[in-house]
Amino acid sequence: MPNEIKFKIDGREFTAAPGETILEVATRNGISIPTLCHNQKISRTTSCFVCVVKDKRTGKFLPSCSACPANGQEVESSSDEVRDMRRTALNLLLSEHAGDCEAPCTVACPAHAQVEEYVRAGRRGDFKKSLKIIKERIPLPLSISRVCPRFCEKECRRNVYGKPVAINDFKRLAADLYYDEYMEDIPVENGRRIAVVGAGPAGLSAAYFLRRLGYRVKMFEKMPKAGGMLRYGIPEYRLPKAILDREIAHFFKMGIELECNRQLGLNLSLDVLKSEYDAVAVTIGCWKAGSMRCAGEELALQGIKFLERIAANDWTGNNPGKTIVVGGGNTAMDCLRTSVRLGSDDVTCFYRRSEEQMPAEKLEIHEAKEEGVKFEFLVAPVKLVRNDAGKLVLTCQRMELGEPDASGRRKPVPVPGSEFDVEADTVIAAIGQATDAPPGLAVNRFGDLDVCEHTYRMSDNVFAAGDCVTGAATVVEGVAGGRIIALGIDGFLSGREYRPEPVVNVSRGHWQSLRKEDLVFLRQDVSEADRVPQRLIPIAERTSTFHEVAATFTPEEVQSEGKRCIECSCTAKGDCKLRQHSQEYGADPEAYKGARLQQGYDNRHPVIIHDRMKCIKCGTCVKICAEVVNKNLLSQKYRGFATKVEGLFGRTLPDSCAECGACVEECPVGALDWRFKA
Amino acid sequence: MAEIRKIKVGTASCGLAAGAGAVLDFFRDHAGVEIEEVGCIGHCYAEPLVEVVTDAGSVFYRDVKGEQACLDNILALGETGRLEVSPSRRKYEMLKVTRLAGRICPTSFDAYVAEGGYGALKKALTMTAAEVVDEVKRSGLRGRGGGGFPTGMKWQFLAAKQAEKKILICNADEGDPGAFMDRSMMESVPHQVLEGMLIGAYATGADILFIYCRAEYPLAIKHIRIAIDQIREHGLDVVNGKKLDIIIKEGAGAFVCGEETALIASLEGRRGTPRFRPPFPTDRGWNDYPTSLNNVETFANIPLVIGEGGAAFAQVGTEKSKGTKLFALAGDLKYPGLIEVPMGTTIGEIVFEVGGADPDQVKAVQTGGPSGGCIPKELFDTPVDYDSLNALGAIMGSGGMIVIGTDRCMVETARYFLDFTHRESCGKCTFCRVGMMRMYETLERIVAGKGEMSDIDFLADLGPKIKKGSLCGLGQTAPNPVLATLRYYKNEYIEHVRDKRCAALVCNALVDVKLDPEKCVKCRLCIRNCAVGAISDDFVIDNAKCTRCNTCIDVCPKHAVARVEKGEGYYAE
Repeated sequence: MPNEIKFKIDGREFTAAPGETILEVATRNGISIPTLCHNQKISRTTSCFVCVVKDKRTGKFLPSCSACPANGQEVESSSDEVRDMRRTALNLLLSEHAGDCEAPCTVACPAHAQVEEYVRAGRRGDFKKSLKIIKERIPLPLSISRVCPRFCEKECRRNVYGKPVAINDFKRLAADLYYDEYMEDIPVENGRRIAVVGAGPAGLSAAYFLRRLGYRVKMFEKMPKAGGMLRYGIPEYRLPKAILDREIAHFFKMGIELECNRQLGLNLSLDVLKSEYDAVAVTIGCWKAGSMRCAGEELALQGIKFLERIAANDWTGNNPGKTIVVGGGNTAMDCLRTSVRLGSDDVTCFYRRSEEQMPAEKLEIHEAKEEGVKFEFLVAPVKLVRNDAGKLVLTCQRMELGEPDASGRRKPVPVPGSEFDVEADTVIAAIGQATDAPPGLAVNRFGDLDVCEHTYRMSDNVFAAGDCVTGAATVVEGVAGGRIIALGIDGFLSGREYRPEPVVNVSRGHWQSLRKEDLVFLRQDVSEADRVPQRLIPIAERTSTFHEVAATFTPEEVQSEGKRCIECSCTAKGDCKLRQHSQEYGADPEAYKGARLQQGYDNRHPVIIHDRMKCIKCGTCVKICAEVVNKNLLSQKYRGFATKVEGLFGRTLPDSCAECGACVEECPVGALDWRFKA
Repeated sequence: MAEIRKIKVGTASCGLAAGAGAVLDFFRDHAGVEIEEVGCIGHCYAEPLVEVVTDAGSVFYRDVKGEQACLDNILALGETGRLEVSPSRRKYEMLKVTRLAGRICPTSFDAYVAEGGYGALKKALTMTAAEVVDEVKRSGLRGRGGGGFPTGMKWQFLAAKQAEKKILICNADEGDPGAFMDRSMMESVPHQVLEGMLIGAYATGADILFIYCRAEYPLAIKHIRIAIDQIREHGLDVVNGKKLDIIIKEGAGAFVCGEETALIASLEGRRGTPRFRPPFPTDRGWNDYPTSLNNVETFANIPLVIGEGGAAFAQVGTEKSKGTKLFALAGDLKYPGLIEVPMGTTIGEIVFEVGGADPDQVKAVQTGGPSGGCIPKELFDTPVDYDSLNALGAIMGSGGMIVIGTDRCMVETARYFLDFTHRESCGKCTFCRVGMMRMYETLERIVAGKGEMSDIDFLADLGPKIKKGSLCGLGQTAPNPVLATLRYYKNEYIEHVRDKRCAALVCNALVDVKLDPEKCVKCRLCIRNCAVGAISDDFVIDNAKCTRCNTCIDVCPKHAVARVEKGEGYYAE
């Protein structure tokens, strides 16, 4: 054709028809150029500048959505400079774009469970669906719903006004109701075999996800039964063994094998496993007790050993008498509350820092106090002896808080001359736990197993995850590690190294920085009610038996909690172009910090939400309504950074909107969207 | 004594703002001679100005007051109060475009014609349209709005178009703060602008003439409107046998509407935002008709070009920048006002010789308005023309020139300009809308003493990207004040950030205020005027309370109060 224009993109020659833009030619030829504001249905907007290309001759950057090529022109679309310009444009847009891509609960969950989604299913009473969503990330819902410190709830936006949604209780009810009956789709075995060493949370999780990926999995466990710390560390009153057994039974139904009483380095050889299996997952946990570092500490019981013994004896044990537990973590709380249940009426916690600095969960501390446990803060042990009467005498020293240490906490320093003695029948040291790495496995400077941060691979076909990699952590963190190890092994065995997908999560900010007005309410029926209180068994029963302390919520209670959920995640999180391009170009919401406009949102329209904080001011909606729908109901207002989209002349949308949804469908982000989530 | 024929009172906006209205009223009531209103002769520092026309020539009086003593002195042609124009200003100024400004009554058609007005139009009508375009091309006249595009070429593009209608627009949306060349021309010699437009209409075959003038120029609009009525009365609006539509559109005050595509959008009744070019307005302009936009000053040059011929016009100026240029001088100099000098005059000549600035008190000059760049004193031998200024990171712009004294802080100066431009971004392009805000926020942090060294790198990185990633001249130049000050005064940025020090003692967060008891005469003026009670009865300023408002410094008759470096002042508690 005579009018054809020949030009080059990244050195490749293309032909353009007159009037065709560089973007159109590129798209037609399968070259991907990112754009947010370009839309074929409307006249050119030329706003976002994410689509820039560089004219090699002039050195100018052109918006490819609007620039038509000239004969002989050469443009760059993939050079570092062009990518940097696109990334900068995206960074700038992200810096004014305020919303929560994912709900903060979901972001906070170490296992990245789709929290908002399972809460929504629970609100609608569909607990089976809720469980299905949970189990995509959390294979141990019966246990985790009982012992999780609830990272999700700490970030819940409801903290802005009142208490967070009781998220964990959705898991507990859904699992209590449907765990036994629900069975995921299990693929036929692909012929590859994986050995998992250690059947604790991380090992069970690794086995679960590996089986779901088609592998044949066998778990080796050093203890007589599977469960790891779930069974031997967490007391019965928090996680009944019968429930744990129910949980583990499902793994056998999935076809996962288990061999107990096999310990690495003792009666199990890593070399044999490495050669007999396609890959080995090491999830051996942290079973070595930390030291009190004082003379006579051998006279004290070790916290985790104490709990293990009681667990192994099926919760029978002697009354420990007057008991002192040294330490302030969750294991210390477990030892304290177990001692109470064994019949001791004098149980005291000795902790060397102040109560605010205690690492144990606040709820645990509170419940321990309810059960009569006493606390002595700013006290450190100096020596332990047994006196002539056969009693233990613990010499302690008072402490005071000094300068902050490496952990940022104020360091306790001894008060000279403050030593004092206390008598006790039992002293339990619950100081911390460490990895007991078997010979032949590399360790890092903390003494934990040394793994690749992305794939959790150690060397050869050996991978590791869980407490033995991270140091003593929570069950949900172990479960999260188990999933990564499964993906790492799967990547390794299929010849591509596993790399997590880059995820861009824009956040409105921490809830402490927000007011209620900053939250976006999609539903008008978000409940203002208080959080449903946890029902506990009577205190007499708590102090005398190992019966489970907290009760499962009723379906009605869970549903009413569900009504309190604001559903903060973005309605467009799945198809937001800004997020997609930002992920592709490595843009960072934190790159350019600065003010965002507090422009608020409009949920008065019956089906459309207009969240101006998310708007990137491209004006697509304005043009769609004017040029395509022929209604012209939207307009841009103000100048500069204050630019915003509004109903024409400040009117609200419902006035004459036909709810055609054209603006919603074309909004490149979630600024205009359907109000309700599926 | 010479006989007084007439007294002319300058009543352009600058004169009126200085009190010329009262002078006019008083003189009309009491002078007993003919009083005429004229525009502005450019010596704004001396307003209100009157010209006494006598049979032996004119005498100018400055700072005139509407009172008997002043009138008596003028009627007696007294020696006091006369305007003395310095010989150096006379030497460097060349009044061509502004020849009639302030000399004739702006609302009088006859006065303009008497001075040869509309002679160029008459001459043009004896030529062919193509010959007129050629003459403009030969003159080398370039767009005076700042772009510097050759006017003759633009007209040639439009003339070549075959269209149902062709449009000629006069861009009178003069938006640069401190620039008032266009206003002054429209207020003082509206017919000269219109004559240029009529010649343009003849040369290009335009059917509709728009004058897009900012609504903040009511007097200019009034004078243009009167002038349009007058040319209609005299039938001058019939060109090429067609009666022209001449329409004034008052802009709503958006800086960006000085950009041609945004201006056209605004004229069409849409949101004033620029669009991607091409297509250029000469291909698709107002309502898709071929359109040419030219600046007020450009049009005001046209009668000269045609009148004296392109070749003669091109005798003045440099190789690539022909003719004279109007500059609005402002800032730290003795004679702020409107000047006209040949292209190629050096900045130093303008600032020192014409503007009367003290070389020891000048640090730099800002050209091209808020989106121009600063030029340090060391480079003042640079000639002003389009290309030399671009090479320095500044721009010619429309002709604003702000002299920056040695007591100014360059970081604060950059922040000040960005405060304007970031608000005036139309909000369309990401880089300009968000990027300018981020740069502005960073500057705010730096002047508040909260900057980090990485902020300087951030400005240097983002600035050029904003220039590259913006559609129109606004975004493409808005980072200039920062980039130019970073180029020439990076040390000031580093001082603010690293040492938390503002050497010029300008940035409030980085200074204290101190009273020198040696100089103090205990008059208590400072204490009485302090709005926050920061000065104690024994004349000690508590910097914890002080808001750095400068009131005490201003009221102290003994200059006993001064800004000092942070830490040198007293803090209670």
